[in-house]
Amino acid sequence: MNGWSGFQRDLVEQMPLILAGLRQTLQLTVIISVTGFLFGLVVFYFSNSPYRWVRSLIQGYISFFIGTPLIVLLFLMYYGLPQWGLKLSPFLVAVIGFTMNVAAYNAAYLTTARNGLDPTEIESARAQGFGRGQIFRWITLPQVLRLSVPALTNQCIGNLKDSSVAFLIQYTEFFARIQELAATNFQFFKAYLLAAGVYLGLVSILVLMARQVEKWTRLPGLGR
Amino acid sequence: MALIRIRNLVKQFGNHTVLDGVNLDLQKGEMKVVMGPSGCGKSTLLRCINRLVEPTSGTILVRDQDIMGAEVDVRALRQSIGFVFQQFALYRHLTVLGNVMLGLRKLRGMSRAEAEAQALFQLNHLEMADHRDKYPSQISGGQKQRVAIARALAMDPAVVVFDEPTSALDPVMVREVADLFNRLNREGVTLLCVTHDLALASQIANRVLFLDQGVIRADDTLENLAKHHPNDQVRAFFGEKEGRS
Ligand SMILES: Nc1ncnc2c1ncn2[C@@H]1O[C@H](COP(=O)(O)OP(=O)(O)O)[C@@H](O)[C@H]1O
Ligand SMILES: [Mg+2]
Repeated sequence: MNGWSGFQRDLVEQMPLILAGLRQTLQLTVIISVTGFLFGLVVFYFSNSPYRWVRSLIQGYISFFIGTPLIVLLFLMYYGLPQWGLKLSPFLVAVIGFTMNVAAYNAAYLTTARNGLDPTEIESARAQGFGRGQIFRWITLPQVLRLSVPALTNQCIGNLKDSSVAFLIQYTEFFARIQELAATNFQFFKAYLLAAGVYLGLVSILVLMARQVEKWTRLPGLGR
Repeated sequence: MALIRIRNLVKQFGNHTVLDGVNLDLQKGEMKVVMGPSGCGKSTLLRCINRLVEPTSGTILVRDQDIMGAEVDVRALRQSIGFVFQQFALYRHLTVLGNVMLGLRKLRGMSRAEAEAQALFQLNHLEMADHRDKYPSQISGGQKQRVAIARALAMDPAVVVFDEPTSALDPVMVREVADLFNRLNREGVTLLCVTHDLALASQIANRVLFLDQGVIRADDTLENLAKHHPNDQVRAFFGEKEGRS
């Protein structure tokens, strides 16, 4: 069993690949956090549709994606779809799969927060002459988003950690590169400890950012 | 010409008839008070006027326009009727100034500067300009009401309607609310107020309408209603509480 020096040498040698993987990880995390948030808003908007069938559809969407393991979805798209002649890149599969999944969770957080709104404020906006879309944009959304900041930022942290499963569909992100490192010298413990340390460091940064966002968005009387 | 003319207004929720042929006229510049026991349909009556509640039958004319007509622009109608809710219903995420500005910006399309000037003018008028940057949770009930009134008046409505304006306030506030209403009315604001607060009614109106069992059962001075109305229950409603207040 070769010790630190062998591991260090391989680490330095593969550092460019590991850093590239880290960049892929961060890229995927940022993209799915943004798309998952935006699509979550769309899902949330329609969750309060005046049409019953739209509400049922949205409810079905949320239940389906919260109830299905993400990895199944990713495999379905990456390994299953080519059988129907549709071959998507690992990156595209990851972005689509995560977006659908994350949006479902975000929409669920937002609909829960909507229960905390005061219905008389909505009625008062209707009485003032605001339309549905305006009420959503100027009353519901600002309040619901503020109430959901902890849940939404937690989701972003989850996105960073969960992005590691993308290595299972050949997306060469950070964890995939660590796998390769471990495979070259069989120093599994050191390699995975390194991975854990890096994730922990990144998560800590995100936690600090989340606190800051919470501070910025907090208003008197809009408590959580 | 009446500003609001209500004829034979019926409202049923399922098979529960709340309003059963209400007639009411409100003239421009008038301050009218509708009284009645809790649950008699006062809030429902007000909500029919701006179609927050769809009437079952009857007609409501606002400035001679039948508001139930198919071609009616409901949102324009609502903008012409200032509505001050029982709990004031200020938008929690907006400051006092923001509450008054929102309608001016998004419904009237005013620039920020224009809207701010107009909002500050109204807040000043209601002695709330000093509190412009506070959030609703940071001001008292009476102050919230003033902001809600400023928010309504800023839209330059044809009439301001009040649902139980004193029910969410400390009883010692009644005098202040009455003074404010009298002042606004003197300045030309048309007011329609529903309440079961006799103390308030007696300070802002000589005559009141009595809504009970779905119809306007009486339209008379408070004194006549308390002493000379043929119905015991009506006399009791207006007599008993007057003694207390
Ligand atoms: N949306 C509704 N659906 C069913 N019943 C209602 C609704 N709104 C009001 N009611 C009923 O109509 C009656 C009158 O209510 P309301 O107008 O609020 O009375 P008030 O304001 O005079 O206390 C009550 O019996 C109430 O339960
Ligand atoms: Mg009521």
